[in-house]
Amino acid sequence: MSANQEKEASDIHHELHSHLPPEPALRVKAIESLLIEKGMLDPATVDAWVETYSEKIGPKCGAAIVARAWADPEFKARLLENGTEAVKEMESAGWAVAHLRVVENTEDVHNLIVCTLCSCYPHAILGPPPNWYKMAAYRSRAVREPRVVLQEFGVDLPDNIDLRVWDSTSELRYFVLPQRPAGTEDWDEEHLASIVTRNSMIGTDRDLDPSGGDK
Amino acid sequence: MDGIHDLGGRQGFGKVDVDEKEEAFHSDWEARAYGIVRAMSKPSDWTLDKFRFTREQIEPVVYLSRPYYDQWLQSYAALMVGSGVASVEELATGKSDGGKAGLGAPRGPESVAAEKRAAAVQFDRPYDKPFRFDRGAAVRTKPFAHKGHTRLPSYIRGHEGRVIEVRGAFIFPDEAAQGIERAEPMYTVAFAAADIWPGEDLDHAVHLDLWESYLEPA
Repeated sequence: MSANQEKEASDIHHELHSHLPPEPALRVKAIESLLIEKGMLDPATVDAWVETYSEKIGPKCGAAIVARAWADPEFKARLLENGTEAVKEMESAGWAVAHLRVVENTEDVHNLIVCTLCSCYPHAILGPPPNWYKMAAYRSRAVREPRVVLQEFGVDLPDNIDLRVWDSTSELRYFVLPQRPAGTEDWDEEHLASIVTRNSMIGTDRDLDPSGGDK
Repeated sequence: MDGIHDLGGRQGFGKVDVDEKEEAFHSDWEARAYGIVRAMSKPSDWTLDKFRFTREQIEPVVYLSRPYYDQWLQSYAALMVGSGVASVEELATGKSDGGKAGLGAPRGPESVAAEKRAAAVQFDRPYDKPFRFDRGAAVRTKPFAHKGHTRLPSYIRGHEGRVIEVRGAFIFPDEAAQGIERAEPMYTVAFAAADIWPGEDLDHAVHLDLWESYLEPA
């Protein structure tokens, strides 16, 4: 890790910054054209990735996992024990995650996920992260003043809750299993999944609303 | 590297934009940039940590202000220049000076569906040496910093925590960023926020996944 290498990369960044078009859309276009000419990119594959991450992979995949865990205690036990293996059982669970760690919210415990160093997130299950997850305000504050951050999301945690923040510094991808709300005892998985919010699986939402579903 | 990317615990960034519209992509270029990064051919020595280290070296003011996927693309552009795959001039104009990258045929759209179950990249490795710490061990993070890439955030350096899980041996990021693949034990360690930031009336715990090189017995 020579100082030279560091200098080199920051110099390259500086040069790119001075020479590439100032508009993101134009930069993207220039790089895409070049990659195609270089034989490094098939534009149809770009379309396929965009379609997959716009339509197929997203919070509904995570919601299906949560609903299965609520409905099937044995699945829930497997999910908490080894999330990576457990989600392979489900066609609707998104794509494979190499190292998935599921943390469970209970009456007494609340979990919150962040990545202070970049923006690690379980893309393969929840799709691209929200912008706020990638921005400095959330990344800096979630570890230091999570209760205040949660208040901004409208979550008022009682004082006695054991609040656990997970900073995703490795290739483990964290995922919150939110609590099942009362009044949903006889619901099927599809109905249960409809009330699970994206933020509840990151930990910036807590009390799910049984009237919030789409059935 | 004590860079701008190392944001944990820093102050002055204001409130979180909680009213953002929930959608996968907020603009066409953003979706395109995401798709390009996923679809493009990459030389085998562009490890995840090499990519991260490249992004960490974006100029601080740009790092904080430029949209995220735009930074991804900028980092890949820098990797292309650094690896000699493309020049700054080519990237600026979008026109090749004739050279091909020599990485074989680009991946076709069928490669996307093929990744659904198969292609999650594994970062753990077999390891036959003893692990230094057991679950429950009191550990202290090293105060070190170096000029390279590391996954030991500055806010946690020099603090005492407790190992709550022994995760196995994982590729060590500080070396992976330099193209060296070596695995070492990795642990999830719990820290009391009140120890990290005393006097702020904090009662939560912060957990980090930390490699053995980052830790010493407390």
